[in-house]
Amino acid sequence: MTGTRGSQPPGGSPDDSEPEERQPGLARERTSLAWTRTAISFAALGGVVLKVNVVSGLIILAIAPLVWQLGRVSRSNSPGTDLPAVGTTRIRLITVSIVVVSLLSLIVALLGKSAPGALR
Amino acid sequence: MSRSGRWAWLWPGAATGPAGDDETEPDPRFTFANERTFLAWSRTALALVVAGLAIVQLLPPFPGVPIGRHLLGVPLIVLGAVLAVVAYAEWVNNQSALRRGKPLPRSVMPWILAATIAGMAAISAIVLLASAVR
Repeated sequence: MTGTRGSQPPGGSPDDSEPEERQPGLARERTSLAWTRTAISFAALGGVVLKVNVVSGLIILAIAPLVWQLGRVSRSNSPGTDLPAVGTTRIRLITVSIVVVSLLSLIVALLGKSAPGALR
Repeated sequence: MSRSGRWAWLWPGAATGPAGDDETEPDPRFTFANERTFLAWSRTALALVVAGLAIVQLLPPFPGVPIGRHLLGVPLIVLGAVLAVVAYAEWVNNQSALRRGKPLPRSVMPWILAATIAGMAAISAIVLLASAVR
């Protein structure tokens, strides 16, 4: 990770350097939709695991609304302004969730009772 | 240990704490874009986990290769977890670079994903050939 993508820093033009001049526009909506898609991905994984192991599936399914709520929290943290609330916590929570879900899936894959031929 | 180096992501709040003397809050559009990139990689990681689990649990066994499904599925699940952690590290490093007005560091994620897909394709071919021979 020693190279660079470009020679210009991505800081925006000098004209919009003041925070009040920075309008994220639809970026906020796109980010909100990205959080929703991520929550749906958790729900889809939970559905697959539910077919194999009910408890693990329910745990993963329960994460889905929490992820969706995290996306909403990120929006409400900046009342009265269009600036995003930058916090490591929710990003870190997503990472930890995926690692935990991966471990659960690994346990289910190795120890769970398989349903061979279900995709035949 | 520097907070601006490759391992800056290990420091809690290294990229998102109060701005220092040489830091400024980046344009929110770039912050949102960085967050969306992280979320996109997270969904890719989840897709790898789903694919691995489906291969192990739902595919019929390969004749003559009893561990074939695990050979294909378990690496995908593990790589899903790895991808999520690397995505977090890259989000921190990118956010740090944005705040310092520096060029974004080169991403290793496409390389990891390409190597994963190529490796899984090779393993799939070997398993299928071994199954067909028997």
